[in-house]
Amino acid sequence: MSLDLGDALQTFFAESRSLLEDMETGLLRLESVPDDAEAINAVFRAAHTIKGSAGLFGLDDIVAFTHKAENVLDRVRNNELDMNEDLVGLLLGCQDHIGRLLDLASDEEELDPDTRQLGKALTARLRASLGESAASLPVELESPVEKLEASKGSNDTWHISLRFTRGVFKNGMDPLSFLRYLGTLGDIVHLATLDDALPTAAEFDAESCYLGFEIQLRSDADKARIENVFEFVRDDCQLRILPPGSRVSDYAELIESLPENSVRLGDILVACGAVTQRELEESLALQACQNARQVPQQALGEILVQRKAVQPELVDAALSKQKDARQKQAQESRFIRVHADKLDSLINLVGELVIAGAGVGLMAARNKDGAMIEAVSGMARLVEDIRDNAMRLRMVEIGETFNRFRRVVRDVSKEIGKDIDLEINGADTELDKTVVEKIGDPLTHLVRNALDHGIESADVRRARGKPVKGTLQLNAYHESGGIVIEVIDDGGGLNRQRILDKARDKGLIQDGANLPDRDVWNLIFEPGFSTVEQVSNLSGRGVGMDVVRRNIEALRGSVEIDSREGEGSTFRIRLPLTMAIIDGFLMGVGDIHYVVPLDMVLECVEMNGSGAEVGCDYLNLRGEVLPLLHVKKHFKLDGRAARRENIVVVNAAGRKAGLVVDELKGEFQAVIKPMGKLFEQIRGISGSTILGSGEVALVLDVPVLQDEAARLDALAVAV
Amino acid sequence: MAKTILIVDDSASVRQVVGLTLRGAGYEVVAAEDGRDALSKLDGRKLHLVISDVNMPNMDGISFVREMKTRPAYKFTPVIMLTTEGSEAKKRDGQAAGAKAWVVKPFLPAQMLDAVSKLILP
Repeated sequence: MSLDLGDALQTFFAESRSLLEDMETGLLRLESVPDDAEAINAVFRAAHTIKGSAGLFGLDDIVAFTHKAENVLDRVRNNELDMNEDLVGLLLGCQDHIGRLLDLASDEEELDPDTRQLGKALTARLRASLGESAASLPVELESPVEKLEASKGSNDTWHISLRFTRGVFKNGMDPLSFLRYLGTLGDIVHLATLDDALPTAAEFDAESCYLGFEIQLRSDADKARIENVFEFVRDDCQLRILPPGSRVSDYAELIESLPENSVRLGDILVACGAVTQRELEESLALQACQNARQVPQQALGEILVQRKAVQPELVDAALSKQKDARQKQAQESRFIRVHADKLDSLINLVGELVIAGAGVGLMAARNKDGAMIEAVSGMARLVEDIRDNAMRLRMVEIGETFNRFRRVVRDVSKEIGKDIDLEINGADTELDKTVVEKIGDPLTHLVRNALDHGIESADVRRARGKPVKGTLQLNAYHESGGIVIEVIDDGGGLNRQRILDKARDKGLIQDGANLPDRDVWNLIFEPGFSTVEQVSNLSGRGVGMDVVRRNIEALRGSVEIDSREGEGSTFRIRLPLTMAIIDGFLMGVGDIHYVVPLDMVLECVEMNGSGAEVGCDYLNLRGEVLPLLHVKKHFKLDGRAARRENIVVVNAAGRKAGLVVDELKGEFQAVIKPMGKLFEQIRGISGSTILGSGEVALVLDVPVLQDEAARLDALAVAV
Repeated sequence: MAKTILIVDDSASVRQVVGLTLRGAGYEVVAAEDGRDALSKLDGRKLHLVISDVNMPNMDGISFVREMKTRPAYKFTPVIMLTTEGSEAKKRDGQAAGAKAWVVKPFLPAQMLDAVSKLILP
């Protein structure tokens, strides 16, 4: 069969990867709560679905391997096998292996020997956990398709006796469709319908089946294949198949075993051409003498009915137990899968809409048309709502990313022999999908660093009087228009002296420089800086902290460190909520427009009488001293001084500063466009946006400006 | 007129492949992602066959079939259950609910088509 399964295959890979994540979450949960039925079910279902779908695509390696893991899980689910730490470890290994197999399959690559070997090792361990020896297991999963096609060469007439039970219709089975299907296997030479069981009209139930059939089939199919035709009605019919060349006595036995009148059946068989009249009579006589045994059809039927009657209660009991758990899952999984491109193009369009809307607003204001201005402002409000909703579509919870670290923490702490707990707070904090994707790597680096270098070994901890078990915290929360992600360890903290020594060695700082803590910690983000002498295979992967910072800055974010010797360190990453559209505050300096994110703006004050002297670099704001950033000076803009200057007080990454600008223009929805390649390197500007008038405004990167100002200050002092 | 088949499975890829296969063979296909969703598709339209997974969130296949069989319009609709479990107990549960035809996952599209054609022709 040639079907285009390409799309479906992509669906399968995406689906399987998310199932593997569920599986991991479930397994990690089982590690702490080994008898959590909900988690066991979730893990089982993940394996079960992956196996089922993989088979559809003929991915036999995945099917075969997953099948074995599923067997073990099934036993656990039925309480025949206890979940323990070893088993969780093994199953996590299996989950990884399935992931690898999926990767290979999606790259259309063959299994390499290593992977194959690993698969075998895992399989052996799975079997061991089932208490089976590797040898005792039969070869599994030969393809059933081949079995169907392996037909024997015998070419003669089969005889088939069929008696349907009354209930066959109620089970949705139509006897005729089976006969039709039987016809596809060969020629139905003769077919006799038996209506002996038909009751009188008064007792006749139109929903019951009273028919039987005697069939002569000429086919080269084998018996299994013919039997298979009736696979689905096996419980709803009495089926006798006599192979070609059967002895007459077999027919006689058949006649005896069927409920109808023997003489009449005999006639039918003769009519079918299965036996001759004389053969029949002889053998029937013989059979009668031997007191043919009664096949206990009735009794068997009764047993079946009884068995069925028992089932519903069992099922109900089992179901109600799982119901609550399922309902919860259902609420979580009510998602629509949308291609990311579609969302991106929607966001782009909304961005254009925002700009166009601003253009209309500008026109209306210029024409001083009151009714128009009112209509436009109504529309602007809607556009704003649309923008917010569209942006929210791209928001995902950070929890998924955080949960990945449960595994990392578990594996790493095992590997280096430390006992470490992971605490996660604020997993439901949402941020932009692209940000989430890109924050994974730097976060992994920070987490590994904290595990490897931050948290001390058990002996050291004991000596310092700390709990032997180390704790790593991952926190996420919103703060002034951005999201903050913290990686906190309760380890030894950063060593100020060692960092300073190292920095001096590398020529990063001058001798005798007296730096505040904050600047000292920031030194570890400098390229080529590494404080640990012996680099373990864990965190020393050739990626320095400078890459971490660069990755974060590429997301318009920043990273800072708090550390106390002996108490631990906090790495705080600040990220913008979204990359594409922000509420901005528009300012003018000379002819040029600048935008800062509105959430950063605390207040605006007039330069004159604000406590700041003209030309001064600081501002005394109600007793608080803030550095002043002269935008005009910083970007070396020409033009005469404005008649009035204003100060915009901003709070960026926990530091306050005053931006000195000429004009305040108010709130503005800024659709942020990245700077072109040529201008990417300009410090202090993180992007641009287009105003309603078509003019360009530059988005100020306030933290960078602050650093710059601090650097200039330091230089000025040094000189 | 083409015969209509309802496929109930929580795996989107299974729905997609079975859908493709059956449509390719000339059936019309309606899809549902779990038992509850499937019940909402039983809106009086004529269904010639139902193919349902067993293990699904919200409402599993067996409960769904049991519920379906109580509705007069679908009392006689044949059902194929899909399962990865060879478990006899599960099968008995299903048979008690009125599902007699079982196809064991993993299956190839051709096997599914074969099973379907035993019950109905396009």
